[in-house]
Amino acid sequence: MPENMTHVPYYPGCTLKSKALGYERSAMDCARSLGFEMHEIEKWNCCGASFPLTKDNLMGLTAPTNILIETEQHCKERDIDAKLITLCSFCYNTLKRTDFAFREEPGKLKTLNEFLNREYKGNVTVIHYLEYLRDVIGFDNLSKMVKTDLSHLRVAPYYGCLLLKPQKELGLDDPEEPVILHDFLDALGCQVIDFPGQVDCCGAYLIMRNPDKVLELSHNILEEASEYGAQTIVTACPLCQSNLDQSEAVRGEMPILYFTQLLAVALGLETEQHQFESHCIDPKSLISSCKKFKEFSDAK
Amino acid sequence: MQINTENNQAAIRDLEIATGETISDCYQCGKCTAGCPASMDPSPSLLIHLLKLGLFTKAVNSASIWDCMACLTCSERCPKNVSPAAIIEGLKRIHLNNMEPEINLNSLGQEFLAHSTQQAVVSGFRKFV
Repeated sequence: MPENMTHVPYYPGCTLKSKALGYERSAMDCARSLGFEMHEIEKWNCCGASFPLTKDNLMGLTAPTNILIETEQHCKERDIDAKLITLCSFCYNTLKRTDFAFREEPGKLKTLNEFLNREYKGNVTVIHYLEYLRDVIGFDNLSKMVKTDLSHLRVAPYYGCLLLKPQKELGLDDPEEPVILHDFLDALGCQVIDFPGQVDCCGAYLIMRNPDKVLELSHNILEEASEYGAQTIVTACPLCQSNLDQSEAVRGEMPILYFTQLLAVALGLETEQHQFESHCIDPKSLISSCKKFKEFSDAK
Repeated sequence: MQINTENNQAAIRDLEIATGETISDCYQCGKCTAGCPASMDPSPSLLIHLLKLGLFTKAVNSASIWDCMACLTCSERCPKNVSPAAIIEGLKRIHLNNMEPEINLNSLGQEFLAHSTQQAVVSGFRKFV
Protein backbone atom coordinates (compact mmCIF):
# COMPACT_ATOMS: atom_id res chain seq x y z
CA MET A 1 0.00 0.00 0.00
CA PRO A 2 1.42 3.44 -0.91
CA GLU A 3 2.86 5.38 2.03
CA ASN A 4 1.87 8.88 1.03
CA MET A 5 -1.87 8.66 0.64
CA THR A 6 -3.48 11.80 -0.75
CA HIS A 7 -6.05 13.10 1.71
CA VAL A 8 -9.35 13.77 -0.07
CA PRO A 9 -12.29 15.15 1.96
CA TYR A 10 -15.40 13.06 1.42
CA TYR A 11 -19.12 13.69 1.81
CA PRO A 12 -21.13 10.45 2.09
CA GLY A 13 -24.78 11.51 2.37
CA CYS A 14 -27.66 9.50 3.79
CA THR A 15 -27.91 6.53 1.44
CA LEU A 16 -24.20 5.71 1.47
CA LYS A 17 -24.47 5.12 5.21
CA SER A 18 -27.42 2.78 4.94
CA LYS A 19 -28.76 1.16 1.82
CA ALA A 20 -25.67 1.75 -0.29
CA LEU A 21 -23.04 0.77 2.26
CA GLY A 22 -21.42 -1.52 -0.28
CA TYR A 23 -20.92 1.48 -2.58
CA GLU A 24 -19.09 3.40 0.14
CA ARG A 25 -16.97 0.50 1.31
CA SER A 26 -15.91 -0.55 -2.17
CA ALA A 27 -15.10 3.07 -3.09
CA MET A 28 -12.97 3.53 0.03
CA ASP A 29 -11.11 0.25 -0.44
CA CYS A 30 -10.40 1.06 -4.08
CA ALA A 31 -9.25 4.57 -3.14
CA ARG A 32 -6.66 3.15 -0.72
CA SER A 33 -5.47 0.75 -3.36
CA LEU A 34 -5.13 3.63 -5.83
CA GLY A 35 -3.23 5.88 -3.45
CA PHE A 36 -5.79 8.21 -1.93
CA GLU A 37 -7.71 8.17 1.32
CA MET A 38 -11.28 9.48 1.51
CA HIS A 39 -11.70 11.31 4.80
CA GLU A 40 -15.26 11.88 5.86
CA ILE A 41 -15.74 15.52 6.89
CA GLU A 42 -16.34 15.71 10.64
CA LYS A 43 -19.78 17.23 10.76
CA TRP A 44 -22.22 16.71 7.99
CA ASN A 45 -25.95 16.80 7.43
CA CYS A 46 -28.25 15.60 4.66
CA CYS A 47 -27.74 17.62 1.46
CA GLY A 48 -31.50 17.76 0.87
CA ALA A 49 -31.25 15.20 -1.95
CA SER A 50 -32.69 17.49 -4.57
CA PHE A 51 -31.44 20.86 -5.68
CA PRO A 52 -34.31 23.37 -5.57
CA LEU A 53 -35.25 24.17 -9.17
CA THR A 54 -37.09 27.39 -8.36
CA LYS A 55 -34.66 30.26 -8.02
CA ASP A 56 -36.31 31.89 -5.00
CA ASN A 57 -36.07 28.76 -2.84
CA LEU A 58 -33.10 29.72 -0.70
CA MET A 59 -34.17 27.44 2.14
CA GLY A 60 -33.27 24.48 -0.04
CA LEU A 61 -29.70 25.77 -0.18
CA THR A 62 -29.12 25.91 3.58
CA ALA A 63 -28.32 22.20 3.98
CA PRO A 64 -25.75 22.00 1.16
CA THR A 65 -24.23 25.33 2.22
CA ASN A 66 -23.58 23.95 5.69
CA ILE A 67 -21.76 21.01 4.12
CA LEU A 68 -19.62 23.32 1.99
CA ILE A 69 -18.76 25.37 5.10
CA GLU A 70 -17.75 22.22 6.99
CA THR A 71 -15.58 21.20 4.04
CA GLU A 72 -13.81 24.56 4.00
CA GLN A 73 -13.20 24.19 7.72
CA HIS A 74 -11.90 20.63 7.33
CA CYS A 75 -9.47 21.68 4.60
CA LYS A 76 -8.32 24.84 6.36
CA GLU A 77 -7.39 22.88 9.49
CA ARG A 78 -5.26 20.53 7.40
CA ASP A 79 -3.95 23.11 4.96
CA ILE A 80 -5.10 21.13 1.94
CA ASP A 81 -6.98 21.99 -1.26
CA ALA A 82 -10.68 22.53 -0.68
CA LYS A 83 -11.88 19.62 -2.75
CA LEU A 84 -14.88 17.49 -1.83
CA ILE A 85 -15.39 14.04 -3.27
CA THR A 86 -18.88 12.53 -3.54
CA LEU A 87 -20.31 9.21 -4.68
CA CYS A 88 -24.09 9.65 -4.81
CA SER A 89 -25.33 11.43 -7.95
CA PHE A 90 -27.96 13.34 -5.94
CA CYS A 91 -25.39 14.66 -3.45
CA TYR A 92 -22.97 15.51 -6.24
CA ASN A 93 -25.69 17.36 -8.14
CA THR A 94 -26.99 19.27 -5.12
CA LEU A 95 -23.61 20.31 -3.72
CA LYS A 96 -22.09 21.24 -7.04
CA ARG A 97 -25.13 23.23 -8.15
CA THR A 98 -25.25 25.06 -4.83
CA ASP A 99 -21.64 26.10 -5.21
CA PHE A 100 -22.32 27.09 -8.83
CA ALA A 101 -25.33 29.19 -7.79
CA PHE A 102 -23.10 31.16 -5.41
CA ARG A 103 -20.47 31.74 -8.07
CA GLU A 104 -23.15 33.01 -10.46
CA GLU A 105 -25.02 35.06 -7.87
CA PRO A 106 -22.81 36.24 -5.03
CA GLY A 107 -25.83 38.01 -3.53
CA LYS A 108 -27.35 34.62 -2.75
CA LEU A 109 -24.23 33.58 -0.89
CA LYS A 110 -24.36 36.78 1.17
CA THR A 111 -27.99 36.09 2.12
CA LEU A 112 -27.24 32.48 3.05
CA ASN A 113 -24.20 33.41 5.10
CA GLU A 114 -26.21 36.03 6.99
CA PHE A 115 -29.04 33.60 7.59
CA LEU A 116 -26.78 30.77 8.75
CA ASN A 117 -24.60 33.16 10.72
CA ARG A 118 -21.57 31.35 9.32
CA GLU A 119 -19.40 31.99 6.32
CA TYR A 120 -18.95 30.00 3.18
CA LYS A 121 -16.10 31.65 1.29
CA GLY A 122 -16.88 29.89 -1.97
CA ASN A 123 -13.67 27.91 -2.35
CA VAL A 124 -14.83 24.30 -2.49
CA THR A 125 -14.53 22.27 -5.67
CA VAL A 126 -17.10 19.49 -5.61
CA ILE A 127 -16.05 16.45 -7.61
CA HIS A 128 -17.42 13.02 -8.28
CA TYR A 129 -15.35 9.90 -7.60
CA LEU A 130 -15.43 9.11 -11.32
CA GLU A 131 -13.99 12.53 -12.04
CA TYR A 132 -11.13 11.82 -9.63
CA LEU A 133 -10.41 8.53 -11.41
CA ARG A 134 -10.43 10.22 -14.80
CA ASP A 135 -8.62 13.46 -14.02
CA VAL A 136 -6.29 12.66 -11.12
CA ILE A 137 -5.54 8.93 -11.36
CA GLY A 138 -6.10 8.75 -15.12
CA PHE A 139 -7.84 5.89 -16.88
CA ASP A 140 -4.58 4.90 -18.59
CA ASN A 141 -2.91 4.45 -15.21
CA LEU A 142 -5.97 2.70 -13.86
CA SER A 143 -5.84 0.13 -16.64
CA LYS A 144 -2.29 -0.73 -15.59
CA MET A 145 -3.46 -1.55 -12.05
CA VAL A 146 -6.08 -4.09 -13.11
CA LYS A 147 -5.34 -7.52 -11.69
CA THR A 148 -8.45 -9.43 -12.71
CA ASP A 149 -9.41 -10.57 -16.16
CA LEU A 150 -12.79 -9.03 -17.00
CA SER A 151 -12.49 -9.46 -20.75
CA HIS A 152 -15.42 -11.89 -20.88
CA LEU A 153 -17.80 -9.50 -19.07
CA ARG A 154 -20.34 -7.56 -21.11
CA VAL A 155 -21.08 -4.49 -19.02
CA ALA A 156 -23.58 -1.73 -19.81
CA PRO A 157 -22.79 1.70 -18.34
CA TYR A 158 -25.87 3.46 -16.97
CA TYR A 159 -25.55 7.16 -16.18
CA GLY A 160 -29.04 8.25 -15.19
CA CYS A 161 -29.81 11.95 -14.95
CA LEU A 162 -28.30 13.87 -12.09
CA LEU A 163 -24.69 12.86 -12.67
CA LEU A 164 -24.75 14.75 -15.97
CA LYS A 165 -27.48 17.38 -15.93
CA PRO A 166 -27.39 20.32 -16.13
CA GLN A 167 -24.17 20.15 -18.10
CA LYS A 168 -23.55 23.89 -17.83
CA GLU A 169 -23.34 23.60 -14.05
CA LEU A 170 -21.83 20.15 -13.54
CA GLY A 171 -19.55 19.94 -16.56
CA LEU A 172 -18.70 16.30 -15.91
CA ASP A 173 -19.55 14.96 -19.36
CA ASP A 174 -21.89 15.29 -22.32
CA PRO A 175 -25.46 14.72 -21.06
CA GLU A 176 -26.66 13.01 -24.25
CA GLU A 177 -23.61 10.99 -25.23
CA PRO A 178 -21.45 10.62 -22.14
CA VAL A 179 -18.24 8.60 -22.19
CA ILE A 180 -16.82 8.71 -18.67
CA LEU A 181 -18.29 5.36 -17.53
CA HIS A 182 -17.54 3.85 -20.94
CA ASP A 183 -13.89 4.89 -20.62
CA PHE A 184 -13.79 3.64 -17.04
CA LEU A 185 -15.09 0.20 -18.07
CA ASP A 186 -12.73 0.17 -21.00
CA ALA A 187 -9.84 0.76 -18.59
CA LEU A 188 -10.98 -2.22 -16.53
CA GLY A 189 -10.83 -4.36 -19.64
CA CYS A 190 -14.54 -5.24 -19.90
CA GLN A 191 -16.60 -5.37 -23.05
CA VAL A 192 -18.54 -2.10 -22.96
CA ILE A 193 -22.16 -2.38 -24.04
CA ASP A 194 -23.22 0.98 -25.43
CA PHE A 195 -27.02 1.09 -25.30
CA PRO A 196 -29.47 3.95 -25.93
CA GLY A 197 -31.14 3.76 -22.51
CA GLN A 198 -27.94 4.75 -20.72
CA VAL A 199 -29.17 8.30 -20.02
CA ASP A 200 -32.90 7.55 -19.64
CA CYS A 201 -34.50 8.30 -16.28
CA CYS A 202 -35.15 5.31 -14.00
CA GLY A 203 -38.08 7.08 -12.36
CA ALA A 204 -36.08 8.39 -9.39
CA TYR A 205 -38.09 9.65 -6.41
CA LEU A 206 -41.38 8.95 -8.15
CA ILE A 207 -41.04 5.59 -6.36
CA MET A 208 -42.62 7.43 -3.40
CA ARG A 209 -45.79 8.23 -5.31
CA ASN A 210 -46.08 5.92 -8.30
CA PRO A 211 -43.92 2.78 -7.93
CA ASP A 212 -45.55 1.11 -10.95
CA LYS A 213 -44.37 3.89 -13.23
CA VAL A 214 -40.84 3.59 -11.86
CA LEU A 215 -40.82 -0.17 -12.39
CA GLU A 216 -42.02 0.36 -15.95
CA LEU A 217 -39.33 2.95 -16.76
CA SER A 218 -36.62 0.84 -15.16
CA HIS A 219 -37.93 -2.24 -16.95
CA ASN A 220 -37.51 -0.50 -20.32
CA ILE A 221 -33.90 0.36 -19.51
CA LEU A 222 -33.17 -3.22 -18.43
CA GLU A 223 -34.84 -4.73 -21.50
CA GLU A 224 -32.80 -2.54 -23.77
CA ALA A 225 -29.53 -3.33 -22.00
CA SER A 226 -30.37 -7.05 -22.25
CA GLU A 227 -31.19 -6.78 -25.92
CA TYR A 228 -27.84 -5.18 -26.54
CA GLY A 229 -26.19 -8.13 -24.84
CA ALA A 230 -25.33 -6.82 -21.36
CA GLN A 231 -24.72 -9.28 -18.53
CA THR A 232 -24.65 -6.57 -15.92
CA ILE A 233 -25.23 -2.83 -15.55
CA VAL A 234 -23.02 -0.45 -13.58
CA THR A 235 -24.25 2.80 -12.13
CA ALA A 236 -23.06 5.63 -9.89
CA CYS A 237 -26.36 6.45 -8.22
CA PRO A 238 -27.87 4.52 -5.27
CA LEU A 239 -31.42 5.37 -6.31
CA CYS A 240 -30.84 4.21 -9.89
CA GLN A 241 -29.30 1.04 -8.48
CA SER A 242 -32.27 0.45 -6.22
CA ASN A 243 -34.92 1.18 -8.86
CA LEU A 244 -33.24 -0.93 -11.53
CA ASP A 245 -32.50 -3.74 -9.08
CA GLN A 246 -36.10 -3.91 -7.84
CA SER A 247 -37.41 -3.90 -11.38
CA GLU A 248 -34.93 -6.59 -12.41
CA ALA A 249 -36.14 -8.78 -9.56
CA VAL A 250 -39.45 -8.96 -11.45
CA ARG A 251 -37.92 -9.20 -14.94
CA GLY A 252 -34.77 -11.30 -14.94
CA GLU A 253 -31.40 -12.05 -13.41
CA MET A 254 -29.08 -9.25 -14.43
CA PRO A 255 -27.11 -7.86 -11.48
CA ILE A 256 -26.95 -4.06 -11.06
CA LEU A 257 -23.58 -3.05 -9.64
CA TYR A 258 -22.03 0.12 -8.38
CA PHE A 259 -19.08 0.97 -10.59
CA THR A 260 -16.83 0.84 -7.53
CA GLN A 261 -17.89 -2.74 -6.78
CA LEU A 262 -16.66 -3.78 -10.20
CA LEU A 263 -13.55 -1.65 -9.73
CA ALA A 264 -12.77 -3.55 -6.51
CA VAL A 265 -13.05 -6.85 -8.39
CA ALA A 266 -10.82 -5.50 -11.16
CA LEU A 267 -8.18 -4.37 -8.67
CA GLY A 268 -8.23 -7.81 -7.11
CA LEU A 269 -9.41 -6.55 -3.71
CA GLU A 270 -11.19 -8.50 -1.01
CA THR A 271 -14.90 -7.84 -1.65
CA GLU A 272 -16.49 -9.61 1.27
CA GLN A 273 -17.54 -6.35 2.92
CA HIS A 274 -18.96 -4.87 -0.27
CA GLN A 275 -22.49 -6.05 0.33
CA PHE A 276 -23.15 -7.86 -2.93
CA GLU A 277 -25.73 -9.85 -1.00
CA SER A 278 -27.80 -6.74 -0.30
CA HIS A 279 -28.75 -6.48 -3.99
CA CYS A 280 -32.02 -8.09 -5.12
CA ILE A 281 -30.07 -9.84 -7.88
CA ASP A 282 -26.98 -11.35 -6.29
CA PRO A 283 -23.97 -10.77 -8.55
CA LYS A 284 -21.80 -13.40 -6.82
CA SER A 285 -21.82 -15.98 -9.63
CA LEU A 286 -20.95 -13.28 -12.14
CA ILE A 287 -18.15 -12.03 -9.90
CA SER A 288 -16.79 -15.51 -9.26
CA SER A 289 -16.43 -15.96 -13.04
CA CYS A 290 -13.75 -13.24 -12.92
CA LYS A 291 -10.31 -14.73 -12.28
CA LYS A 292 -7.10 -12.94 -11.48
CA PHE A 293 -4.48 -12.76 -14.19
CA LYS A 294 -1.93 -15.53 -13.83
CA GLU A 295 0.89 -13.32 -12.59
CA PHE A 296 -1.29 -12.06 -9.72
CA SER A 297 -3.01 -15.32 -8.81
CA ASP A 298 0.39 -17.01 -8.60
CA ALA A 299 1.73 -14.27 -6.35
CA LYS A 300 -1.05 -14.95 -3.91
CA MET B 1 -57.05 19.75 -4.64
CA GLN B 2 -57.96 22.73 -6.77
CA ILE B 3 -56.14 26.02 -6.65
CA ASN B 4 -58.42 28.92 -7.46
CA THR B 5 -56.83 32.10 -8.69
CA GLU B 6 -58.66 35.35 -9.20
CA ASN B 7 -55.96 37.00 -11.21
CA ASN B 8 -54.30 34.63 -13.65
CA GLN B 9 -51.87 37.20 -15.03
CA ALA B 10 -50.62 38.16 -11.56
CA ALA B 11 -50.21 34.47 -10.66
CA ILE B 12 -48.14 33.90 -13.81
CA ARG B 13 -45.93 36.88 -12.98
CA ASP B 14 -45.42 35.48 -9.48
CA LEU B 15 -44.52 32.11 -10.98
CA GLU B 16 -41.94 33.75 -13.24
CA ILE B 17 -40.40 35.59 -10.31
CA ALA B 18 -40.31 32.44 -8.16
CA THR B 19 -38.77 30.27 -10.85
CA GLY B 20 -36.58 32.84 -12.57
CA GLU B 21 -38.03 31.69 -15.92
CA THR B 22 -39.50 33.78 -18.74
CA ILE B 23 -42.50 31.86 -20.00
CA SER B 24 -42.88 33.95 -23.18
CA ASP B 25 -39.42 32.78 -24.32
CA CYS B 26 -40.95 29.39 -25.19
CA TYR B 27 -41.70 29.06 -28.91
CA GLN B 28 -43.45 25.71 -28.61
CA CYS B 29 -40.99 23.56 -30.52
CA GLY B 30 -41.98 20.59 -28.40
CA LYS B 31 -38.48 19.25 -27.73
CA CYS B 32 -39.24 19.09 -24.00
CA THR B 33 -42.30 16.94 -24.61
CA ALA B 34 -40.50 14.72 -27.10
CA GLY B 35 -37.84 13.93 -24.52
CA CYS B 36 -40.06 13.64 -21.44
CA PRO B 37 -39.72 10.12 -20.00
CA ALA B 38 -42.71 10.65 -17.70
CA SER B 39 -45.19 10.80 -20.64
CA MET B 40 -46.82 13.77 -18.94
CA ASP B 41 -50.36 14.54 -20.06
CA PRO B 42 -50.76 17.51 -20.35
CA SER B 43 -47.19 17.57 -21.63
CA PRO B 44 -44.52 20.06 -20.52
CA SER B 45 -44.95 22.12 -23.70
CA LEU B 46 -48.73 22.15 -23.33
CA LEU B 47 -48.44 23.30 -19.70
CA ILE B 48 -46.25 26.18 -20.84
CA HIS B 49 -48.65 26.92 -23.68
CA LEU B 50 -51.51 27.18 -21.17
CA LEU B 51 -49.44 29.66 -19.16
CA LYS B 52 -48.67 31.66 -22.29
CA LEU B 53 -52.40 31.86 -22.95
CA GLY B 54 -52.96 33.12 -19.42
CA LEU B 55 -54.72 29.94 -18.30
CA PHE B 56 -52.88 29.68 -15.00
CA THR B 57 -55.65 27.88 -13.11
CA LYS B 58 -55.79 25.16 -15.74
CA ALA B 59 -52.02 24.69 -15.69
CA VAL B 60 -51.61 24.64 -11.93
CA ASN B 61 -54.42 22.12 -11.50
CA SER B 62 -53.09 19.71 -14.12
CA ALA B 63 -52.49 16.30 -12.55
CA SER B 64 -49.43 15.70 -14.74
CA ILE B 65 -47.25 18.16 -12.80
CA TRP B 66 -46.92 15.41 -10.17
CA ASP B 67 -45.56 12.95 -12.75
CA CYS B 68 -42.43 15.04 -13.35
CA MET B 69 -39.28 13.32 -12.06
CA ALA B 70 -37.05 16.39 -12.44
CA CYS B 71 -34.70 14.42 -14.69
CA LEU B 72 -33.95 17.75 -16.40
CA THR B 73 -34.04 16.32 -19.92
CA CYS B 74 -36.50 19.03 -20.96
CA SER B 75 -34.43 21.85 -19.48
CA GLU B 76 -31.22 20.51 -20.96
CA ARG B 77 -32.67 20.25 -24.47
CA CYS B 78 -34.63 23.51 -24.62
CA PRO B 79 -33.19 25.64 -27.44
CA LYS B 80 -34.60 28.78 -25.80
CA ASN B 81 -33.01 28.16 -22.41
CA VAL B 82 -36.34 27.75 -20.65
CA SER B 83 -36.51 25.20 -17.84
CA PRO B 84 -39.88 23.42 -17.98
CA ALA B 85 -38.76 21.38 -14.95
CA ALA B 86 -38.38 24.58 -12.93
CA ILE B 87 -41.78 25.88 -14.06
CA ILE B 88 -43.38 22.56 -13.12
CA GLU B 89 -41.69 22.64 -9.72
CA GLY B 90 -43.00 26.19 -9.28
CA LEU B 91 -46.53 24.93 -9.96
CA LYS B 92 -46.11 22.09 -7.47
CA ARG B 93 -44.91 24.48 -4.82
CA ILE B 94 -48.09 26.52 -5.09
CA HIS B 95 -50.00 23.43 -3.94
CA LEU B 96 -47.46 22.53 -1.26
CA ASN B 97 -47.35 26.09 0.07
CA ASN B 98 -51.09 25.75 0.58
CA MET B 99 -50.41 22.79 2.86
CA GLU B 100 -51.74 20.27 0.40
CA PRO B 101 -49.25 17.38 0.36
CA GLU B 102 -49.49 15.18 -2.72
CA ILE B 103 -48.71 11.99 -0.85
CA ASN B 104 -50.33 10.85 2.36
CA LEU B 105 -47.49 10.07 4.72
CA ASN B 106 -49.63 7.81 6.87
CA SER B 107 -50.51 5.65 3.90
CA LEU B 108 -46.88 4.91 3.01
CA GLY B 109 -46.46 2.40 5.81
CA GLN B 110 -43.45 1.65 7.99
CA GLU B 111 -42.41 -1.34 5.93
CA PHE B 112 -42.34 0.65 2.70
CA LEU B 113 -40.26 3.37 4.34
CA ALA B 114 -37.92 0.86 5.94
CA HIS B 115 -37.14 -0.66 2.54
CA SER B 116 -36.97 2.62 0.67
CA THR B 117 -33.75 4.21 -0.46
CA GLN B 118 -33.09 7.14 1.85
CA GLN B 119 -32.47 9.64 -0.92
CA ALA B 120 -35.83 8.70 -2.48
CA VAL B 121 -37.58 9.42 0.81
CA VAL B 122 -35.83 12.77 1.26
CA SER B 123 -36.29 13.96 -2.31
CA GLY B 124 -39.84 12.56 -2.38
CA PHE B 125 -40.66 14.61 0.70
CA ARG B 126 -39.14 17.67 -0.94
CA LYS B 127 -41.24 17.23 -4.06
CA PHE B 128 -44.53 15.92 -2.70
CA VAL B 129 -44.94 17.16 0.86
